[in-house]
Amino acid sequence: MGWYDYLSDLGAALTIQSVAAEQAADPPAEDESSSEGDEKDDSEEAESGDGEDAAEEEEEEEEEEEEEPEDIKDKLEEECMKTPACAPAKHHYDECAERVQGQIDENGKADEDCVEEFFHLMHCATQCAAPKLFRQLR
Amino acid sequence: MLARSSLRASRALGATKTSATRTATRNASTQSSSESAGSWKNAALASSSTALAIGSVAWYYYQYGRPMHAMTPAEEGLHATQYPWEHEKFTKTFDHAALRRGFQVYREVCASCHSLSRIPYRSLVGNFMTVDEAKALAEENEYDTEPNDEGEIEKRPGKLSDYIPAPYKNDEAARAANNGALPPDLSLMVKARHGGCNYIFSLLTGYPDEPPAGAVVQSGLNFNPYFPGTGIAMARVLYDGLVEYEDGTPATTSQMAKDVVEFLNWSAEPEMDDRKRMGWKVIAVGSVLFAISVWVKRYKWANIKTRKMLYNNPYAQQNATKHPGSVHRR
Ligand code: HEC
Repeated sequence: MGWYDYLSDLGAALTIQSVAAEQAADPPAEDESSSEGDEKDDSEEAESGDGEDAAEEEEEEEEEEEEEPEDIKDKLEEECMKTPACAPAKHHYDECAERVQGQIDENGKADEDCVEEFFHLMHCATQCAAPKLFRQLR
Repeated sequence: MLARSSLRASRALGATKTSATRTATRNASTQSSSESAGSWKNAALASSSTALAIGSVAWYYYQYGRPMHAMTPAEEGLHATQYPWEHEKFTKTFDHAALRRGFQVYREVCASCHSLSRIPYRSLVGNFMTVDEAKALAEENEYDTEPNDEGEIEKRPGKLSDYIPAPYKNDEAARAANNGALPPDLSLMVKARHGGCNYIFSLLTGYPDEPPAGAVVQSGLNFNPYFPGTGIAMARVLYDGLVEYEDGTPATTSQMAKDVVEFLNWSAEPEMDDRKRMGWKVIAVGSVLFAISVWVKRYKWANIKTRKMLYNNPYAQQNATKHPGSVHRR
């Protein structure tokens, strides 16, 4: 049936998959060989846990030459904690933290924890920061 | 019941006003005791029954009506925030460049602890790798051959049809290397956890610099608000600049987490792009068929809709003066 072929051709022309396949083909072969090396490092790490630290240090040294990218998530969330919506949660958390610190100073141990206050604070802050964060990520 | 009793109560409260008219006449015909005593008793009965009704409903709600929480919020874990994932939208596909970055993060970070046992190398081809890249990747690992003539099992380099190897020989080895905790397979992780992508993203990026005041963290565990119980055996693994992306994307913690989560969503649901395409095909074909059916219906009914029925009532003609004219109906 001609019209069915026509429709499925149309559909195929509009799909993204074929485009993606070409994109993946773009990167030059050099990158591939370097990532292969990393893979080897990883599999070795898995076998002997001792090698892990050394490998990480190496990586960090490499990066320090270039400028280190900085994550904005924490910054956005801190800004969000100051908004009127989250200020009460922040206030409650700070109050709790102060109280618990007082208990530790007095009795040497905390009688309660601030996990719930922390939850409320983070719930508010992450919710406020989520759209801002994803706008800046790729 | 409740409505009626409250109605009565309000009527009883208004008794002072009505007593002059109705109660007085009723009292005259019945042999009730003094007027004031009667209305006091009525009011007491009505208000106490109302109080009983309200009280018993409240008690029932207190006992059985409220949702039950067997766990404390900390045991439940912080509910992950909804992030605006592009690939979850109805009209969007996976970002295949992000999948490529995410796979890089998996290989360079997560693969040392987590397996991805349901993904063969062939499924990378055409999604975010070329055939040659995937082949080269497969050949880095050795796999068992079929038994040869002597029954020996030898090793051969991997092929496209092989599956991505696990970092540990078995679960026991994985536990032994991770302080007793088993790093779960990640192939279906996005589907296996409440919150899916949001949960894993929050988990990876949610390690606070220090646990909240007074929180008890067992030795060997790390505080993470999103993990049920808040103590997780996996330490924070993503740090800014941990990997170097070949497309130059700045490798911040959030960026790596976002990419690896999108990749894990792909590994759990590689059919998603096709599924959405199929959905739109169904909608497109369905809407065409619906439009056709509307036109066909109009065509088929055209005769019936446009006919005119004429009925000459013989009786009406005889009594033309009483019932003038004949009846036309469409
Ligand atoms: C050093 C080893 C290690 C590395 C590296 C690692 N994990 Fe884990 N992961 C673990 C362990 C151990 C657990 C089990 C935690 C537990 O049950 O307390 C775990 C658990 C998880 C869970 C399941 C949490 C749950 O709800 O049960 C997810 C998801 C996860 N890891 C994702 C990742 C991702 C993504 C990466 C890479 C960015 C990664 N992990 C890297 C060791 C690791």
